[in-house]
Amino acid sequence: MGQKELKVAFLLALRSLQRGSRSSVILTVLIIGMCFTNMIFLPSMFSGIGQSITKQLVDYEVSNILVSPKSGDQYITDIDATLDLINGMPGVQRASPHYSKGATFKYRQRILGVSVRAISPMDEKEVSPVYTKMVAGSYLGEGDTGEIIIGKPIAGDATVRQEDEFQASLGGVRVGDSITVEYGNGYTKDYRVKGIYSTGWSPVDNAAFVTWTDMELVEGKTLDKADYITVRAKPGYTEQFIKNELLAYGVGVNGQVQTMTDLLSKSVGKVLQSFAIINAVSLVVSVIITTVVLFIVITIKTLNSRKQIGILKAIGVDKEVIMHNYGFQVIILGILGIILGIIITLLLAAYMSVHPIVTPEWSAYLYITPMDLLTNSVILFCAAVIAGYVPAYQVSREEIQSAMRA
Amino acid sequence: MIEITDLRKIYRMGTVEVKALDGLTLNIEKGEFLGIMGPSGSGKSTLLHMLGLLDLPTSGKIVIDGMDISRFTDYEKTMFRLYKLGYVFQDYALVPDLTVMENVSLPAMLRKDRTEEQTIKDSFGILQKIGLCDRREHLPRELSGGQQQRVSLARAMVNKPDILFADEPCANLDTENSRVVLDLFREINESMHQTIVMVSHEDWHKDYFHRIIRMRDGKIISDGINGASKNT
Ligand SMILES: Nc1ncnc2c1ncn2[C@@H]1O[C@H](COP(=O)(O)OP(=O)(O)O)[C@@H](O)[C@H]1O
Ligand SMILES: [Mg+2]
Repeated sequence: MGQKELKVAFLLALRSLQRGSRSSVILTVLIIGMCFTNMIFLPSMFSGIGQSITKQLVDYEVSNILVSPKSGDQYITDIDATLDLINGMPGVQRASPHYSKGATFKYRQRILGVSVRAISPMDEKEVSPVYTKMVAGSYLGEGDTGEIIIGKPIAGDATVRQEDEFQASLGGVRVGDSITVEYGNGYTKDYRVKGIYSTGWSPVDNAAFVTWTDMELVEGKTLDKADYITVRAKPGYTEQFIKNELLAYGVGVNGQVQTMTDLLSKSVGKVLQSFAIINAVSLVVSVIITTVVLFIVITIKTLNSRKQIGILKAIGVDKEVIMHNYGFQVIILGILGIILGIIITLLLAAYMSVHPIVTPEWSAYLYITPMDLLTNSVILFCAAVIAGYVPAYQVSREEIQSAMRA
Repeated sequence: MIEITDLRKIYRMGTVEVKALDGLTLNIEKGEFLGIMGPSGSGKSTLLHMLGLLDLPTSGKIVIDGMDISRFTDYEKTMFRLYKLGYVFQDYALVPDLTVMENVSLPAMLRKDRTEEQTIKDSFGILQKIGLCDRREHLPRELSGGQQQRVSLARAMVNKPDILFADEPCANLDTENSRVVLDLFREINESMHQTIVMVSHEDWHKDYFHRIIRMRDGKIISDGINGASKNT
């Protein structure tokens, strides 16, 4: 197959598409484009959901590395020394201890069970962006006592009647209001609401924060233990690196060290697995539709031009030229379809980045990497080429006599 | 130039055998304008297909330019058609999506011994000869039947083939257009010493032929030099 043959095959292909049925070309390109979109839409959306869950987990729950009690223990003990050790290590931005205690909130006629989380605000601000999510008032300051910040769903809305509430709340707490908190150990105290936040991450929005100092008052002693410690990595340091470091310096003696990825593979991993099945199905369906459509399009084209093909062969056009003529047509259609698909996908992605589908746990936007676009393009392209070359090969091998008689 | 010996072609349709060619022997000389005439079904097209390497004989031998064509591989046959033969079909058989110029250039574009410039020059030249140079950017469907058949002739001639075959090239044309096309064949035959083998069953076409073979039931029933043709 020389250059001249390929050139002629390409010319024939190009002219057939340019001067043949316009609507057939447009419809074929449209179908390939839609199949491409279909192939990439669900996986990208799942991947976007996964990303948004992951981001919120990192931001509001586990940060990059989570140090939790060893199995069998309820708390991490010797917390001051442990924190000093972790904070002193290269690559660690900050470690923030967490300690929660169940409590009952009372405000006017309302009573609500809430988990109160003790944090040390200076540390926590370096680890979690809750302080950027204040919708009213301000974040806790280091050493604040008698002040509490609560999630927006807990604060509630005074304009909504209690019966109509989606979830129980305190019925419209405002900054500066006083709420009575009765802890599980019987300790009761009035707090001034210093701020109200809304992160979109429901477990945090349904909790309240007080300072470490305040919790020590509740416990009646120095609090040298924590439920867990979240550790934020400095940019440029991998979680695995820091985890290894922590283990090497003996943090593992006091607690269990897990990276966000370790945790994710356990919890979200299951979800992602079910996503993967849906993704595979949508991929297979798209590939099959594209293959079938192109196969039919090219088969019809070749059947309609059997006589034509016979004539071309009779005047000395090699069967390879005939085959590549249809091959090139499918390649051109495939490329146009994929380009259209990429455009549609990017437009959808742009639209969904402005209008994501939002739920308390995640917001769905399209997470698309150039690699996703590339692999899907390649898969679809290969399917297209096979679908086109099969009938092209068959028709190009037909005897001249039977072809011309058609 | 073409030696045909005891050529047979038998079509089997179930239990029925059709002897399309029944032991045909014939020599065709270089530069001849040979007319093959005879009633429908007499085997004219079948003979032309054998000579044009479009179909295989059941038995017998065809030697063109000293080469036994039964020994050719598929690819060699294709190349032989491309380099040595020209073919004009009854129904023009142009590629509908190519312009006149592209249709005519197509066979030349595939030849390894032609540069792009030469292909353009040759196509231009032959289009001028058939008088359709001004229509070169038109599509076949924008031309009349007679014009299309002239384009088809130009396509067959662009590679300056050793032998030009034509299977009832005027069957779809009215008398006037037929005359234009036949005049072109004659002009090509005379000015370029082009060997032409043409099938026809219109009696008045015989004026154009040097030599006329009449066929019936796959056999030659007469073969003679046409004296009259030289004078018309
Ligand atoms: N592919 C074929 N299959 C069966 N019979 C055929 C085929 N081609 C031609 N024939 C038969 O062979 C005979 C000669 O046909 P053909 O050469 O086309 O005649 P002509 O061109 O002189 O009209 C006819 O009887 C025709 O029916
Ligand atoms: Mg015939």
